[in-house]
Amino acid sequence: MSSPANRQPLGLKLVSNGFLALWCLVAAFPIVWITVMSFKSPLDAFDSNPIRVIVGPRTRDIAGGLSILDIVLGLLLAWALIRLALKWLPGQVRALSPEGRHWIGWGVGGGVFALATLILFTVILPAALGVLNPLAGPLGTDVIGLTTEHYRAVWVDRGFTRNFANSMVVTCGVVIVSLTVGTLAGYGLARSGSSFAFWLLVVALIFRALPHSVLVAGYLPYFISSSEWLAPIFGESAPTLYGKPWAVIAVLVAINQPFTIWMLRSFFQNIPQELDEAARVDGCSHFQAFWRVIVPVMWPGVITTGLFSFLLAYNDFLVTSLLLDAQNMTMVPAIANMFNRETTASDEVQAIAAAVSITAPLFLLVMVFQRQIVSGLTAGAVKG
Amino acid sequence: MKRKTFMIFVGPSVFMMLLFIAAPLVSVLWQSFHLTQPIYTQVEVETCTPGFPAQICTTETQIRPQLDDNGKIITQTTFVGLQSYRNVLEPERLRAALDAGSWDQLMNLRFWSALRFTLVFTILTLPLVIGTGLLIALAVNNTLQRIKGPVIFISLLPFIITPVIGALSIRWLFIGDGILTAALESWTGRDIAMFAQGWTIELMMYLYRVWHVAPFAFVVFYAGLQTVNQDAVEAALIDGATRFQRLRYVIIPHLMPLVVFVTIIHLMDAYRVFEEIVGFSASAHVLSLQWLTYEFLLPDGTGSRAISRASASAMLTMIGIAILLAFPLRRVWRDHKGR
Amino acid sequence: MFLKKLSIAAAVTALAAGAAAADCTNTVPVKTISNAFPAYESMAAAMQACGNVTSELDKDHRLKIVDAFSANPSLYSMTSLTNSTSVPMIDADLLRPLDDLIAEYGQGLSPNQFIKIDGKVMAIAAFANTQHLMYRKDILDDLGLAVPTTWDEYIAAAEAIQAAGVVDYPIGHYFMDGWNLAFVFVNHYLGEGGAFFNADWTPSINNEKGIAVLERMAKLASLMDPEYLVSDTTFVTKQLQQGDVAMANLWASRAGAVNDPAESSVAGKIVMAKALMGSEALAATVWWDGWAIAKNIPDEEAEAAFKMIVASMTPEEIAAHNDDALWLAPGFTPGDAAIGAAETFASGMAAPYPMNKHIGSMHNALGAGLAAYLTGSKDAATTLADIEAAYITDAKEKGLLQ
Repeated sequence: MSSPANRQPLGLKLVSNGFLALWCLVAAFPIVWITVMSFKSPLDAFDSNPIRVIVGPRTRDIAGGLSILDIVLGLLLAWALIRLALKWLPGQVRALSPEGRHWIGWGVGGGVFALATLILFTVILPAALGVLNPLAGPLGTDVIGLTTEHYRAVWVDRGFTRNFANSMVVTCGVVIVSLTVGTLAGYGLARSGSSFAFWLLVVALIFRALPHSVLVAGYLPYFISSSEWLAPIFGESAPTLYGKPWAVIAVLVAINQPFTIWMLRSFFQNIPQELDEAARVDGCSHFQAFWRVIVPVMWPGVITTGLFSFLLAYNDFLVTSLLLDAQNMTMVPAIANMFNRETTASDEVQAIAAAVSITAPLFLLVMVFQRQIVSGLTAGAVKG
Repeated sequence: MKRKTFMIFVGPSVFMMLLFIAAPLVSVLWQSFHLTQPIYTQVEVETCTPGFPAQICTTETQIRPQLDDNGKIITQTTFVGLQSYRNVLEPERLRAALDAGSWDQLMNLRFWSALRFTLVFTILTLPLVIGTGLLIALAVNNTLQRIKGPVIFISLLPFIITPVIGALSIRWLFIGDGILTAALESWTGRDIAMFAQGWTIELMMYLYRVWHVAPFAFVVFYAGLQTVNQDAVEAALIDGATRFQRLRYVIIPHLMPLVVFVTIIHLMDAYRVFEEIVGFSASAHVLSLQWLTYEFLLPDGTGSRAISRASASAMLTMIGIAILLAFPLRRVWRDHKGR
Repeated sequence: MFLKKLSIAAAVTALAAGAAAADCTNTVPVKTISNAFPAYESMAAAMQACGNVTSELDKDHRLKIVDAFSANPSLYSMTSLTNSTSVPMIDADLLRPLDDLIAEYGQGLSPNQFIKIDGKVMAIAAFANTQHLMYRKDILDDLGLAVPTTWDEYIAAAEAIQAAGVVDYPIGHYFMDGWNLAFVFVNHYLGEGGAFFNADWTPSINNEKGIAVLERMAKLASLMDPEYLVSDTTFVTKQLQQGDVAMANLWASRAGAVNDPAESSVAGKIVMAKALMGSEALAATVWWDGWAIAKNIPDEEAEAAFKMIVASMTPEEIAAHNDDALWLAPGFTPGDAAIGAAETFASGMAAPYPMNKHIGSMHNALGAGLAAYLTGSKDAATTLADIEAAYITDAKEKGLLQ
């Protein structure tokens, strides 16, 4: 890292870090802003004066808010928890979890820590502040209007938990199937030098170019009437594909295959062919060679590709909104449903709260896998 | 690898693509040359709907599709050749516009105006995405080790956020007296309406797309920068190469395959631009090809779709992408043969 | 505090469910699909309280119901319908005539609710909707302006308000490109006494009436926020709520929201009035929203479904959700918010939105073609001629025109 090639003049450092700061502002601002909006009453959320949106005077009058004491104590607690998570938790996990099984320790430790955080912020802190605020005088009066009403409306009244569970089913299904199928294909394509393999890839890429709306509109009548045209094969028990999460999983996997096999092929090409050839010389079949030699070293690339599949499935709107029924509706179309014929300003703020809610798991995902994304890509998942 | 083993490896993937992409594709191709219509007959219909105080009944001549014995609508399918393509492309009016040499007249033809926007959108955002991505990657690579993690995290946010949500959040910032419009107004001292004219909406769509995709380019390039051969960089340094020369002659060539990769993905996605048109309600001013397809495909208020034109328009979109992809793919072909 | 709220909410829900389950107990599984907004939410809740009802509230239901009802057995027992979504369902003969069920179980319904096609009841309307004037009484009173009754008076009043500098843009209108913009044209064209089609279904909008409507739309646009091409109903509602505009012509169903103190900074100042006159009729159309039952289901299920429709429209249910919609069933008492709609309906001069195949194609062509006139890239006659040409291409492809 300290090689002379990396030494930079001060001017360059300033420009480059200044640019970075600007970019981070641009990247984070819209998301931070909708988060702020989601805690305000509709009148404040859509105010044209940014100060009023942040302070939320009308929200404060209706629903109360935070006092200076609340903010200070909340920030202190958050800071303490972050310190604890970074300094103390790793040591504990390492000390208490069985050797070589750190991931179990991390799972349990993370879970307990998250639960403790939740209880601290939703039960203990509000209770303590309820006692302290009246005693603190001006520091204890509400200054910033804030309401969690929209989140309650989304998660409790609108039953968003079910949409969340559906999203998880579809997303996990897509990731697992897509990676299983795609890994095999990617390996096959990487190890075959034939022109056929190349053209297969190109055709797959052209497939990727077909507008999704055309595909989905094509599926819809067949999915709805499937119990009729599948009857000759399955008899009485022929399923109706419309509304079934697994049918949507299959569609999303297929739509995402071109990208998946493209990435995995490049990744496998960077695993030296000598590895599996050596195994083949030892008498393994192609599958045994794949299983014993390639599978153990393929995880960085697979995790990265899996993350892209995750994003596609989690964020999909077109396929899920048309092919799933209300019982199995995922989160993104459920949010779109909030913009209907009679949308009011309250609905819009609820949609914002829902939008912030569905972004939260993505946050966590990227936090956890950030290093793997970069290392997976570095290891060659994208070598053109 | 033997053909048979190869087929077993790629089989499941190919099967799914054949079933869910190739089969619909064939049907789209077929439909673009055919016209399937119900057979209508004229009937007198008396309709009574709520009125105040009493019901309103009207009798009018309407058309009704004929039903067969099973109660299904009887349809007839005719081969129409390139008629649907002609309906989409409007060659006569195109010729008239070209003869008149009138750009405005040309832009009043929906397909050509959509093609204009789609191409400009694709070609303009491509260098912006690659340039921004590369700049962020270089800046992150050069920054302090301890802030790299958080910076990468923040940089990835625009990419991971659900596209519909991202477009809506930008829209909320600008629409009416959204806070950014209000800020622009107080800064310039003029009344600004971002959604009132075509070019501002177009500008917002470009910026949104760059905001959304640049992080993808960034993370790919950043990963590539980790594998730059330090010996080559140092050798260049010893040869007296300036910082820019090192970037130009060592780092960029190393990243070239990644640039091709990002280009291919971006060309494909940008050519199918759609979310932006919906998110920014841009359809009054600009159209995209996929929007056009969607418009044909959506049933009208009384439930009929223009399937043939939708199919023709989808095929034209695919042809466009195939042409655009030919350039970067030639490079991949050479690499493939070179292995 | 938060948890307490939670448990209270749960308790209230349970109570409501218990109360509504009075005497409509249902044993046959019934599956419904409908549009998603408060009036349907309350009806779905009433049905679910009777037991064995699964309700899907889906904004995209119109894309699915034709295929879903063509399946045998139908995927749903019943669906919500409107003027226009009923057309493909009736065309494909997917709905069950309800006369026998009405005779047996429908005594509580008002005959005005029956949607009859050739004498047979195909659907039960639940509520109606229309568009009418909403104005800021305080602004009009301050300036001594009379409440406008025609579009010319409306434009004159708007100009007066703008001249007085009370608000930057005096009026709001749902001019969003696409369906909304086309709908404005449809209403105004009907208000001018125009007919969209000749006897052979060829278009007839490129005439003085069409041009007059376009010119009026341009005039209205000049009095609106310049972002009018993205202004949908929600946008106009917000403009009224935030005091940005003094008058609007809006859907009756929004009358409650504009005076809702939780959302509106001018709550209580907005008054409803009759729809505005064009030169021959009101430039407003009447819409109905209701339920229809699938043909491809067993009689037993249809019977249960019909009982659910009745159960969702009892006078108690209507009274409990009085302000959610302009209910047609007995038990509705029009409040202040319903005055504009009541006057519009009572005048008898607002036509129902047409229920034929061709208007769908025409509406689409208008939605795609009108913006070019307002943005100034085409003149009125060219715009209308192009729309007619687009309609002809579209109708020919769909087999509606020979």
